[in-house]
Amino acid sequence: MNPSEWKEKLFTIKENFFDSINNATPENIEAIEVQFFGRKGLLSLHLRDLKDIPIEERKILGHIGNSFKEESLGLLARKKIEFGSVRTGAGEKKSGPDLTLPGYPFPKGSLHPLTLTVNKLVEIFLKMGFSIAEGPFIEEDYYNFEALNIGEFHPSRDMQDTFYVDVKDLKNKNFLLRTHTSPVQIRAMKGTKPPLRIISPGKVFRHDAIDASHSFVFHQIEGFYVDRNVSMADLKWTLDTFIKELFGSAVRIRFRPSYFPFVEPGAEVDMSCIFCKSKTEKCSVCKGTGWIEVLGAGIIHPNVLMNCGYDPQEWNGFAFGAGIERLAMLLFDIQDMRIFFENDLRILEQI
Amino acid sequence: MKILYSWLMDFVGNNLPVQDVCDKLVRIGFKLESLKKTGPCFDGVITGQILKIEKHPNADRLSLVEVNTGSRVFKIVCGAKNIAVGQIIPFASVGATLTTGALKKAKIRGIESEGMVCSAQELGLEQDSGLNILVLPENTPVGVDALKLFPETDYIFEFEMLPNQSYCLSHIAIARELCSFYNFPFKLGTLPIFLQENQKSEVPITIENPQYCMRYTGIVLRNLHAAETPQWMIKRLKAMDVNPKNNLLIDVSNYVLFELGQPTHCFDLDKLANQEIKVRLAAKGEVLVTLENQKLELTEDALVIADSKKPVALAGIIGGSETAVSDSTKNILMESACFQPVSIRKTSRKFGIQTESSYRFERGTDREITLYAAKRIAQLIMESIKDAKCAFIGDNYPEKYNPPVIEILPDKINSILGTNLENNQILAGLKAVSPDTNGNEKPWKFPVPSYRQDIETIWDVSEEVGRFIGYEVIPTATSMGLMKADATDSFKMISDIRNKLSAIGFKEVYNYDFLSSKELNDCMLDKMECIALENPISLDYQFLRNSMIAGLLKTLRYNLNRGQESVFIFEIGNIYKKINANCSGGITIPQTTGHKEQTFCAGLMFGNFLKEHFWKEQMQRADFYHLKGVMEHLFKDFEEFSMEKTQGQVPVFLHPEECLELKIRKLPAGFIGRISPVVCAGNDFKNNEIFYFEFSIEPLLSGFGKNKNINPVSKFPSSWRDLSVVLDSRHRWEDIKHVISASQTAGLTKIELIDVYKGKNIPENHISITVRLVFSSMERTLTDKEIDGYINEILASLSKHFNAKLRT
Repeated sequence: MNPSEWKEKLFTIKENFFDSINNATPENIEAIEVQFFGRKGLLSLHLRDLKDIPIEERKILGHIGNSFKEESLGLLARKKIEFGSVRTGAGEKKSGPDLTLPGYPFPKGSLHPLTLTVNKLVEIFLKMGFSIAEGPFIEEDYYNFEALNIGEFHPSRDMQDTFYVDVKDLKNKNFLLRTHTSPVQIRAMKGTKPPLRIISPGKVFRHDAIDASHSFVFHQIEGFYVDRNVSMADLKWTLDTFIKELFGSAVRIRFRPSYFPFVEPGAEVDMSCIFCKSKTEKCSVCKGTGWIEVLGAGIIHPNVLMNCGYDPQEWNGFAFGAGIERLAMLLFDIQDMRIFFENDLRILEQI
Repeated sequence: MKILYSWLMDFVGNNLPVQDVCDKLVRIGFKLESLKKTGPCFDGVITGQILKIEKHPNADRLSLVEVNTGSRVFKIVCGAKNIAVGQIIPFASVGATLTTGALKKAKIRGIESEGMVCSAQELGLEQDSGLNILVLPENTPVGVDALKLFPETDYIFEFEMLPNQSYCLSHIAIARELCSFYNFPFKLGTLPIFLQENQKSEVPITIENPQYCMRYTGIVLRNLHAAETPQWMIKRLKAMDVNPKNNLLIDVSNYVLFELGQPTHCFDLDKLANQEIKVRLAAKGEVLVTLENQKLELTEDALVIADSKKPVALAGIIGGSETAVSDSTKNILMESACFQPVSIRKTSRKFGIQTESSYRFERGTDREITLYAAKRIAQLIMESIKDAKCAFIGDNYPEKYNPPVIEILPDKINSILGTNLENNQILAGLKAVSPDTNGNEKPWKFPVPSYRQDIETIWDVSEEVGRFIGYEVIPTATSMGLMKADATDSFKMISDIRNKLSAIGFKEVYNYDFLSSKELNDCMLDKMECIALENPISLDYQFLRNSMIAGLLKTLRYNLNRGQESVFIFEIGNIYKKINANCSGGITIPQTTGHKEQTFCAGLMFGNFLKEHFWKEQMQRADFYHLKGVMEHLFKDFEEFSMEKTQGQVPVFLHPEECLELKIRKLPAGFIGRISPVVCAGNDFKNNEIFYFEFSIEPLLSGFGKNKNINPVSKFPSSWRDLSVVLDSRHRWEDIKHVISASQTAGLTKIELIDVYKGKNIPENHISITVRLVFSSMERTLTDKEIDGYINEILASLSKHFNAKLRT
């Protein structure tokens, strides 16, 4: 057979094959396979004929023949899958491996929901230019109260029942467990030149009974920014951006006048309720008000700035704080704060 | 603080719907905790008379009752015990609405009930009246709508008052806020004309310490007799959660407290020695028995109200029992004063007495209102006791209120709020708070009203403007510039550790930082080293943890008790210790010179590694080498990390034989080991295969965050040989490995221990180890001959150091 004859015959086989495969049925698909690709199949025999063709042409024709074989085998395979007639053995039916058995286990640990929440918060605030600062949990009265405009006889000491420990500071006052993350404001500001933009997540302690929404150990995140010309509008933008990042862009916030001794003007910040979808049923999270209280905030009190050595005529700033448990409860739809410290692995492994 | 809607509306010129009042108050910064409806809350209830009572045949506690409503007789089943024939009662027939919902037809223990006799609670009249039915007065007509018998619906707001809202602790004050911020007419009742103040000094009032008592007003009323408190006043006091004493002289004082925010106190004038009042500091040794019959040993810093002989009241906090009014009181002196907040707070703290009065004084009261309040009390008493006479009004006011003036530049207010308010908008806000604000020339002058001692600076004034305009006007806009931001090294390091541990199967837990004495003992922790709370919540939370072990064991137990078989957990938190505690003897109190607080990561492994049950292979129980492997995984990127037998002290809760010290750059960082059998037993663990690690974060920081270099690998294939040798089992792998790597064999790139075997075919006290040695070169493929040479060198070295023999 000369090369052109061989090519022509291949073309005939090709047409023949396409014709067969297009009209194939589940019943004759096996027969088609044998007809073309069996030991004595049309294509198999034809490729064997190449041996009689001179080497130079054989290379080229071989290439053509093999690519057709590849292509046609592909078509055949697809057809077989279509007919569901793929068999494991040669024609004989086997049950095959039970693919419904569970996969081999890989170790699955988990991060605590509070850690996950802090990580989300930190990620958001880092993007907005806030750096992290930290402070001790055993704190001096000065940093926890005095420097934050909460004098010894200030009634707002009633707001935060404090744990004291049996170790005294240099002023012979008992050390205390910090009741909020705000002392980090003082520690960060003292000895640093503005501008500064800081967040500080961490543990705080209050002498409070434990129930579904209170604990004597919990976590807060503190944030503040000191620069020239910082206003309530900057604060509102920052918190609006933060809440939208955390809960989605459909969430709105509102400011209500409020009081914290270390800010003035002060505000409480509510976000629109993400749980009450229907208007008919009273939502248990926002108690039907449509708003959930999430943050306290305000313009840093001039006394606080002065305590840190800043001139309040030149510098000003805003500060805010939020309960991390509260945010975690909203993020993960947790009803009872106690589960954070119960460490039931059946709960922890869900995330 | 509770506010009664109808009482509030006494002072507000416009008639505002309840919901409107709520919204308006919330908007200007009042924190509404609850809004409760009071008064009747029913429909379709009529009066009826009980005609007949019989026992229910199927229930001992139920009765069958016939009720006549005039038009017909109803047969009902009733569970109340206070029913009697002839009583006039509120009767609800099927279809009526009660606090519990619409009343439906019901069969109770087999007998149909056509309605029910109602309790006060079911009608919404009282909170907790229990099961007893409400019995109406005998002369009540039968068959009338019961709604006609009760006063109208009212509402109680409960607000959480913030420490700066001392000017809002009364009905009149809240009304004033509403009216001035929303421009409603403020209604203040007119008082009858009394005699003029200070006419004759019938009761001399002296103030020895005007810095502690800014004003003292006293009104003398004579010709009194025991009088009942009027019903309307009782109702209002009940709404305030005050238990009315039904003695007008006491109740009226409370009434005015809630109405005007001015605490007052009533003395029985005839019991005051020489009928005079002295405001002074207590003398040492003086004693006061309070209204609560508590005997106070007074100190020289306590401000008291005294007569000519002795203290009769702890100023602004509580009165004395000796001079208290009683049913036989004929003449009184009513005190209405203003005291210095810090002095009151100190004394109140010192004696541990907190009252409605001290609560208000320590937050600051309005010194301008004392006379008005005293007169208001006189008015209320004289309305109820016809013969009462106002005999004397004394008003000692050493220094009249001179309002501080704050200079206002409206631009500054705009810059604080971030707003662009017009001057007239700002001025309107200022005038709402202080009507005498002078905005004619800049800077504007803002005189602080006597009741607004919380306003000191322009920042405070800005908040008032914000409240007036509404915080919603503040734009959500910023010009904040970019700033470089970074997390601390310790935050990054801790995140890294958390991620690594959770990725290999550990679950993160959070425990409280507090431990009990028992928990410390159970883990054999040193109590002397522990920082204790001065005021613990309970003995379960008395000490600050000085180790993470107790919390983790607690978590382990909690989960084993709840069906877990394997527990792999870790925690990152702080531990706290006293330092330099000189506790030489058993009873000496440790003198501390300080404390330290360290962040630790700790964890434990118990049970099957990977998963509890698994169909393919037998799971391995976690043992010491899992623990070690976890640490190797965690610290593989740290330079100079090692785990060694410690020369120093091992934590007492670890098994001394199965414990290693973690070191970073040769400095101690922590420990790993098996929990000691004593501690396992002490904590009631039956199985003591608990493996624990703990390390301090701080020493690791120096080795963290360094950029790692990536080294090229050889392009030529590497070769490996397994070498099995038998040697004395006293030799340690670390030494063996050291000898192999010290053999200076060129091209040895990896030493892996792949088998350790003991037993059949191995001599006693010997072990067989198999080491896989990998060789490669950057320049070429190593020949078999070269490698055989290396192997022989290594074997020779091993036999020289350990007398090792090739295993055949």
